[in-house]
Amino acid sequence: MRTHPLVIVDGVRTPFCKMGTDLAGVDAEELGRIAVNALLSETGIDPGIVDEVIFGCVGQPPHAPNLARVIALNAGLPNSVRAVTVQRNCASGFEALTQAAEKLAAGSGEVFIVGGAESMSRAPFLFSDRARKNWTQLFKQRSLGGRLSAMRRFRGNDFVPRPALKLALQDPICGLAMGDTAEVLARDFKITRDQQDHFALQSHARALAAQEKLAEEIRPVFPGLGVKDLVERDNGVRTPDQLKKIGRLRPVFDTRTGSVTAGNASQITDGAVALLVVSEAVAEKYDLPVLGTLREWHYSGCEPERMGLGPVYAIHEVLRKTGIALSDIDLVEVNEAFAVQLLAVAQALESQAFARNHLGQDRAVGSLDTDRLNVNGGAIALGHPVGATGARLALTTLKELHRRGQNRALVSACIGGGQGAALYLERNPS
Amino acid sequence: MNTTSSTPETVTLHKVETSPNHVHHHVESPSCHLVTFDRSGSSANIFDAAALTELDHLLTVLQDLPPTTRVIFSSAKPRIFIAGADLKSLQAALQANDSDAEIEHYLQLGQSVFQKIAELPATTIAAIHGACVGGGFEMTLACDYRFASDDKATKIGLPETQLGILPAWGGSTRLPRMIGTPKALTVILKGKPYPAKRAKKLGIVDRIVPKEYLLDVARKADVRAKHRNLQWHKHNPIVTRIACQVARRKIPARTLQHYPALDTAIKTIRKAAHGSVESGYAEERQAFLKLAHTVTSKQLIRLFFLRESAGKANRKLTVNLTPIQRTAVVGAGIMGTGIAYWLSARSYPVYWNDIAVEAISRGMKHLNNEYQKAVKRRIMTRHKAAQGLNRVYPRCGMPQTKAADLVIEAAVEKMELKKRIFRGLDESSSPDTILATNTSALSVTELAEGLQHPERVIGLHFFNPVSRMPLVEVIAGDRTNDRSIQRAVQFVSSIGKTPVVSADRPGFIVNRILVPYMLEAAHLVEAGEDPKQIDRAMLDFGMPMGPLRLSDEVGLDIALDVAQTLADAFPERVTVPPRLTQMVEKGLLGRKSGQGFYRYHKGKPVDESSSGSIASTARNSISLQERMVYLMINEAARCLEEGVTNHAKWIDLAMVLGTGFAPFTGGPLRLCDTQGARRWLTIGVTCADEIDSRFSPSSLLIQHSQETSTFYED
Repeated sequence: MRTHPLVIVDGVRTPFCKMGTDLAGVDAEELGRIAVNALLSETGIDPGIVDEVIFGCVGQPPHAPNLARVIALNAGLPNSVRAVTVQRNCASGFEALTQAAEKLAAGSGEVFIVGGAESMSRAPFLFSDRARKNWTQLFKQRSLGGRLSAMRRFRGNDFVPRPALKLALQDPICGLAMGDTAEVLARDFKITRDQQDHFALQSHARALAAQEKLAEEIRPVFPGLGVKDLVERDNGVRTPDQLKKIGRLRPVFDTRTGSVTAGNASQITDGAVALLVVSEAVAEKYDLPVLGTLREWHYSGCEPERMGLGPVYAIHEVLRKTGIALSDIDLVEVNEAFAVQLLAVAQALESQAFARNHLGQDRAVGSLDTDRLNVNGGAIALGHPVGATGARLALTTLKELHRRGQNRALVSACIGGGQGAALYLERNPS
Repeated sequence: MNTTSSTPETVTLHKVETSPNHVHHHVESPSCHLVTFDRSGSSANIFDAAALTELDHLLTVLQDLPPTTRVIFSSAKPRIFIAGADLKSLQAALQANDSDAEIEHYLQLGQSVFQKIAELPATTIAAIHGACVGGGFEMTLACDYRFASDDKATKIGLPETQLGILPAWGGSTRLPRMIGTPKALTVILKGKPYPAKRAKKLGIVDRIVPKEYLLDVARKADVRAKHRNLQWHKHNPIVTRIACQVARRKIPARTLQHYPALDTAIKTIRKAAHGSVESGYAEERQAFLKLAHTVTSKQLIRLFFLRESAGKANRKLTVNLTPIQRTAVVGAGIMGTGIAYWLSARSYPVYWNDIAVEAISRGMKHLNNEYQKAVKRRIMTRHKAAQGLNRVYPRCGMPQTKAADLVIEAAVEKMELKKRIFRGLDESSSPDTILATNTSALSVTELAEGLQHPERVIGLHFFNPVSRMPLVEVIAGDRTNDRSIQRAVQFVSSIGKTPVVSADRPGFIVNRILVPYMLEAAHLVEAGEDPKQIDRAMLDFGMPMGPLRLSDEVGLDIALDVAQTLADAFPERVTVPPRLTQMVEKGLLGRKSGQGFYRYHKGKPVDESSSGSIASTARNSISLQERMVYLMINEAARCLEEGVTNHAKWIDLAMVLGTGFAPFTGGPLRLCDTQGARRWLTIGVTCADEIDSRFSPSSLLIQHSQETSTFYED
């Protein structure tokens, strides 16, 4: 295992709210600020001891390039504390954590605030390239005649915006939307609509049952700029009553033969997470509590068309490096990008054939039995603010290890563009 | 006038040091001369006789420069251009035998020196960076151009009327000619210092320049032509007369009566704005001499110095005080929110908590509103407001004390609750953290009992509304150590409030003196007096608000609470009128409930006709006003007697800043000194005989009356 374990001291997050709801008035950097503000208030550390702030964000707001720096300064960290924003799509929150660990190992700092922030509500609308050209022409004109003739070049569809969010959720290599890659897995692994819906219902049921537990990691968003009323809870979780119609939802991507619906895919959500992570020496020096330790991690690449299988490769590699069998892991958290994608990952991990064909070994990796997989529900119920999800998975899992008195956890996510991430965490200090 | 601490040296107005070295002359090129004010041995430039004389000598040299040259006036001090005339010497001169001649000489000196500047053939430019007020600004008015730096330190204005005097070094004469009488009246009567941008808008500076380029721009700017006065249609005797009438009518009659400088300034400007400059000078001198001798002016100048010294002189500062860097506020009620706003707006991070999530949420909402209001009123920019708001770390649950150097508890006024909070704070914070309570009546000493580190427990009594009240009472418990008091005093000064240290006695200073007076008003109502007449009597005295209106504003329940504390502590002279208790029981709590001594509709007072004092049983030979003021004077004397504070001046300062006690009187004890202890003793004795023993005079008052001594030494 890695020589420089990264100690996670504590973490908090904002409530996760569906796109266009309670947190829609707040930009990503403000969500991040709120999370870091709550973290500083929770831990009471001197902000001056922080070496760097590392934040994940997939769709960085155009007005806050290097979002992490904006977050750091607005949250009251001294000017001297550096900051970097990281982007590895859905694993950006993991990337923030593992970069901190790598910087620690490389001797570039010992105290980090890491996390992720995403406002999917406020993803910008863009103009088409033709519209951009026309606007540029118009701005260049000085005379009234020139302006009028430049204006004449506009066509009606120049004013049709292109949502940045939609562009980001489409793979630039294979051209498939993320949902389409999920449909590929449904066909490959012969996973039915019913199986997917059943999994989605279970995610909601678990998240609903875990409301009190999840509240431990949530800090309210108080009224302020862009927030009218107190926001205390995640708002994506549905009661069984509200879920009756889940079977009747139309498929979104492959509308005729497909099975992926809004009900069995992750929700589009706003939210932010912040964690305080330090070296073992710093934890000891300041007598900081230890929530858990990051001991090993791996990112692996795979086919963009089957990006959903990324976790299989990453989990396999992390287990190989640690020498721990999957059956010896107490809790597994795999991000629920799509129900079908998670079911496919479970099948692939259990499959000898998959292991032989893709992992270069004869025996299957192991089984993901449901009583230790996503025990408090996942992104289908809680939402998937892409840049923040990784950090939430680590936080939720570590808190659950404490509640259960268990020690080992594996957190993982598939990554748009064809990658997988897996992190091995322990609760006990060494 | 002088806005910073004055210099230690004592120079009388007419005597001049042999070799002063306050003004430097540098010939940059044959056509550009630089005059730099750099008062030796001081951080501030002021115009005392020495500096003026030195400038005068220099001007005789500059007089011979041809019109093609330019003379630039600048300051070498980092934050001050010229802070004005030397108030300390002015104070000293007033004591002198032939004070009129001495002051007149001083005025003439300034006027003639500035006149010389105005008459220089060369082009003159004042390159203003830092405070440029009073006489300093009057000097620049004599220049052809004024360039100001865009720095925060740059403040330009004529604060003389705030001190009960008026600009008399040509300010009242030149300013109307430059920007017109209406604007000049605003500048002089309001007495506000203006930042460069506002000054430019008013027309009192010509250009705004980054401070780094200030001298460079002054050297190179194309400004050959002499400035001309305003055109006739903008500045003529008709405009002046109307403007003066309007200005006078806008000022309430009571204010005009209490602050004679305002009326005099209007009259002087009216005469000085036209005709020859010399006759303007003469008007200025005459008016100044009249005002300088008024009690009002003397008291206002004294208070000015007193307030300035409060942050430093309450206790001697020892070295190596760990400065406060981060603060925590416990409780999100009105006071907690007010304090969190004030501290965060003044760059302190504030860890803020409340047990109830609704409370802290409501607090954050109010805090946000405060900031938005400040943006709307242009007190701060949108970015500054966002930064201030971001400095607050709200939290539902236990206070975060680990990160804070100062914790201010602002919970409900219940001793048991506060004790519980303080036990928690004592355990969770580092022993070096100051634990302060924002109590208005509870004992700091009792609160600190049983704690591991009672020496860092202190009272910081902010007044409501925090953003408007300049006073903070710093309460030293019996076991509070000096270091904690000093750190607290330093902290209070750093947030722009005036600290006054008080011993831990019931009601501290302000409430102790104010409550008997407010209760007396309630007694009078009970005896059948008309509330309006009672309030009017005190408004006439110079209080900003009548005692009954004040009770309604504070909330009768809160007033009753504080009154009860004092009644318990001093049963022999403080009794709560049954009427007050009944009103609170009936839910008549003042403005917030819609009815108190007055009626309110949607928070606004309803105009009621006076009921007249038909059945008053309270009258005797003493007027209502004397009776109520006496109670304050007498209680103030008792405070001094008991050692609540070590000097009368702190009591007076606290009363003026904490209650708005008629500033022109100098405070209750100063008022007693000026009018004679005997007068007030007589009032007290009469009331005690005819009405009640609560009027019994304090022994200190009796002593001063018998020995014809005073509370102040001077």
